[in-house]
Amino acid sequence: MSASGVRLDDPGRSVLLTGNEAVARGALEAGIAYASSYPGSPSAEVLEVLAALAEERGFYAEWSVNEKVALEGAAAASLAGLRSICIMKADGLNVALDTLTALSASGTKGGLVVVVADDPGAHSSVKEEDSRYLGKVAHLVILEPADPQEARDMTVAAFGLAEQLRAPVMLRCVTRVCHASGNVVLGTLPPKPAGRPHIGCQERYITHVAYHRIQEERLAQAREIGEGWPFNAYQGPPEPEILVITAGPGYLYAREAVEVLGLEGRVGILKLGMSWPLPEKFLLRHLKSASKVLFVEEVEPFHEENVGYLVACHLEEVFPLALYGKKSGHVAGPKGPGLGEIDVDTVIRALAALAGIPYEAQPGDYGREARELVKKIPRRELGFCAGCPHRASFWALKTAIALDGREVVVLGDIGCYTLGAGRSGHYLMQTVHAMGSGVGMASGLGKLERLGFSQPVVALVGDSTFYHAAVPALINARYNQSRFLLVVLDNGTTAMTGHQPHPGSGVTALGKRVPALSMEEVAGAFGIPVTVHDPYDVKGAVEALYRLLRQDGVRVLVLRRAYALLTARQEKKPRVYVDPKRCLGDACGCHRFCSRVFGCPANTWDAALGRAKIDETVCTGCGVCATLCPQGAIVVEEVTRNGA
Amino acid sequence: MPGGPGDLLRQVLQTGQCVSCGLCLDLCPYLQAAAERVVMIHHCGLEEGNCFRVCPRTPTDWEEMDRRVFGAPRADHVLGHYRQILFARATDPVVAAAGQYGGVVSALIIFALDGGKIRGAVLTAGAPGEMPQPALAVSPDEVLACAGSKYSAAPSLRALHEAARRGVEPVAVVGRPCQVLAVRKLQAVQGIEAHHLAGRKVALVVGLFCFWALEPGFHAFLRAVAGKARILKVDFSPESMLVRTDRGPLCKPVEEVRGFIRPACRECFDPTAEFADVAVGSTEYDEAWNTLVIRSKRGEALVRAALEAGAIEVRPYPPERLPALRAAVRSKKLRALEVQASRGESSYLLIPAGYRQALTGRDQR
Ligand SMILES: Cc1cc2nc3c(=O)[nH]c(=O)nc-3n(C[C@H](O)[C@H](O)[C@H](O)COP(=O)(O)OP(=O)(O)OC[C@H]3O[C@@H](n4cnc5c(N)ncnc54)[C@H](O)[C@@H]3O)c2cc1C
Ligand code: SF4
Ligand code: SF4
Repeated sequence: MSASGVRLDDPGRSVLLTGNEAVARGALEAGIAYASSYPGSPSAEVLEVLAALAEERGFYAEWSVNEKVALEGAAAASLAGLRSICIMKADGLNVALDTLTALSASGTKGGLVVVVADDPGAHSSVKEEDSRYLGKVAHLVILEPADPQEARDMTVAAFGLAEQLRAPVMLRCVTRVCHASGNVVLGTLPPKPAGRPHIGCQERYITHVAYHRIQEERLAQAREIGEGWPFNAYQGPPEPEILVITAGPGYLYAREAVEVLGLEGRVGILKLGMSWPLPEKFLLRHLKSASKVLFVEEVEPFHEENVGYLVACHLEEVFPLALYGKKSGHVAGPKGPGLGEIDVDTVIRALAALAGIPYEAQPGDYGREARELVKKIPRRELGFCAGCPHRASFWALKTAIALDGREVVVLGDIGCYTLGAGRSGHYLMQTVHAMGSGVGMASGLGKLERLGFSQPVVALVGDSTFYHAAVPALINARYNQSRFLLVVLDNGTTAMTGHQPHPGSGVTALGKRVPALSMEEVAGAFGIPVTVHDPYDVKGAVEALYRLLRQDGVRVLVLRRAYALLTARQEKKPRVYVDPKRCLGDACGCHRFCSRVFGCPANTWDAALGRAKIDETVCTGCGVCATLCPQGAIVVEEVTRNGA
Repeated sequence: MPGGPGDLLRQVLQTGQCVSCGLCLDLCPYLQAAAERVVMIHHCGLEEGNCFRVCPRTPTDWEEMDRRVFGAPRADHVLGHYRQILFARATDPVVAAAGQYGGVVSALIIFALDGGKIRGAVLTAGAPGEMPQPALAVSPDEVLACAGSKYSAAPSLRALHEAARRGVEPVAVVGRPCQVLAVRKLQAVQGIEAHHLAGRKVALVVGLFCFWALEPGFHAFLRAVAGKARILKVDFSPESMLVRTDRGPLCKPVEEVRGFIRPACRECFDPTAEFADVAVGSTEYDEAWNTLVIRSKRGEALVRAALEAGAIEVRPYPPERLPALRAAVRSKKLRALEVQASRGESSYLLIPAGYRQALTGRDQR
């Protein structure tokens, strides 16, 4: 993340930016006054960059408590006549959707752009969602950039469009746009936002069914704009045999595929910069001349379905025409059609098949060689980072549950602690849904007693999730007299997405120190007893968990410890090493506890010595493994602050 | 008889046969205990393990154990090896007052500490009515603080590992008969580095007589019995539980606590700590004295030295009382065999045929 390229006041200059930075740049050029977001991959950097520039550019930026509130804040700025941007990941759109559908009906004033980043393949998400469907439900215009340059260009254009239509415009990015770097030609930075924000006494922004007509009219208007919209473009022969309809990075893959196969004379590419509403006339013009259409898009067959419907409505004009894509199975990534990301190879294979060209993507021994090479790559399991307090928390929880002896149900949540559903967390989590849902479910399970449900219930949330979505569920549970233990895994930041602050951390997005809103205060105000414990003190944490598991009602345990990587950056870390004389190696009953079971990436095995070993470059010096080694073979050497 | 954590789980933990001796705790990070219930948090995946080797409730070769500890097969199948049975008590009135009966156990430990024979002792701490805890005592005061019987199965041997970690050696262990057996099994483990050392560092094993231990729920029951009064001491006679409090004595029929007896104890074959260096119990009639059974040579040397130093005093065991003791022990052993047979599962009681016959015949002594 770097604000240096984004802030350059040098119109016409070409700088290397990521898609996320390019969106931020576009927003600056559009003269935003308000930016808000809840951190989520792959779009977290947009607000990080904007927040870094907010002071100097004179606008407001915030990490909001959740996406719904973020959107409402940005909408407020819009209603006051200012340009605003709200950034979220696909899952965040689900949270904000209620507000978004209403805003689309009520209309807005200043340009409001909603950036939604989809994560095809779910690299850092728990599910794969194509947010275009939700944009359509909300009657919104959806723009889809293909690369960083377009990300900047479309962001700028989106503000104008939003003001023209007096409704929010959605900018749909995918991971390969957000994280890709490319040269971006900068535009002009406007002077600091001028004009006094104001809502006139005659202005009304109200959601009512009567406005459904306006929403449809607005879409019709947008469709007309789309017909001549420069981001909807065609390139290729005037009468192509095969028409590729694509958007986003799929466009780049399609271009490359045509080139690789030498199909420039037979294939035309129709790129949709506006994925909704469809520029129907523009599309029909090109559909009429083609005999085959190939849809290249991520993740779901959104264009395929909508253009397919258009084709059905105009069958006589376009006949004969065959449609290919995910439904026909031609466009399929490694996981299958409509699943995960696609790449150039996917498109080459599909085009080659349609064009009847034999194509072997992996000539000769390539496949075998590749497989051999893959074997040599060390397997890296998804797990908690070295020094992560969650590892200690999960071990403590596993221990406490075993000691309790009853069949404790563990409800999970979304965050990096979701990794606790895997080996890193000893497979403890039994449910993972959406942010805060574990708490809502716990509230429900806690009420099943009269039906004979007697298992103790534990809900796990992260600190950021606590504020995001656990609070209403907690109120519900407390008011309806449910019973469960809520464990908050508090590492002081939103670690998953790069350590953004949240209401408990006492710093705002603008770096201002403010009074933190502690979980103790929040839950305490609901009359819920709160215990705070340090997970690095595993023994104490086990005792606290064990004790709390046996209590009744709703209770909260905060396992609090600042994330070690954060603190290690700030302080000099203690040196932790294995005393090979005390470690018993394979003669110990622990069977390599530290490296195999506890599994901190810094705990390794010295095969030559037959002893455990600590990778000091990875170790953060947390010393938790030292407290758990049955032989006391791990030594923590405190380092004084001033060196030595 | 090799076995691993899986066998420990199946044969001991899941069948309720664990006696919470505490020795397997801290051998590895996977065996932990809460409220005297030992659980395996994680299966380490090993086929064979020390947890299984040292557990007093995994199969035990009794004849081999007799040879190891005493160098000979046993002649007495009721009381096991012994050199002498005496009545004894502490001479120091403070120790005698603190002790459960005559304070012999505490006196012997303090004597061994003072004379430098040991540097610490694995004991059991805790006020009456509270959950007892393992304790590593390194001073006479700490020994006195642990005096008095706590009637539940405290996992006190956990403190043996603490001693090894802290480098406190050699140590004495005071324990229930099951704990004595566990320590002897630990000492018999060959070729293991380190713990191991914990076993080799035990210089003295003092066993307590024990016919049963109670489930930890007993402590809450006791608090309820005492109400607002402060409990000073708890004792059992064959018929009743006697609670001394700051507001006077209370008495409850023993039937009221029988429900708390730890099921594993019903299968216990060793009420007199047969593998200890010395075993100590009540006299069943004189509260100020203990029964002291000197078993090993090492035990004999200790008692002699303690006598010479005036730490304890002894008198002969009244011969007319011996049959009652023998009968009680014998019937406990026979009951254990019965319970075990009725359960129909393999247990630690691999009692050799000769031992059984000797028990079922008429007691010759
Ligand atoms: C559970 C239990 C049941 C017993 N049952 C009988 C019986 O049926 N008949 C009989 O004659 N004697 C029995 N005893 C032994 C008796 O109560 C005395 O402990 C013994 O006579 C020693 O007396 P003392 O005055 O020397 O004790 P003290 O000098 O007071 O020393 C007692 C020692 O016992 C240790 N101790 C206390 N509680 C426990 C425990 N739960 N586990 C392990 N160690 C402990 C302490 O660390 C202390 O060092 C039993 C003891 C226990 C703990
Ligand atoms: S009896 Fe002792 S060694 Fe065996 S399982 Fe129980 S605590 Fe562990
Ligand atoms: S009765 Fe046996 S098994 Fe139970 S505590 Fe006493 S010695 Fe151990």
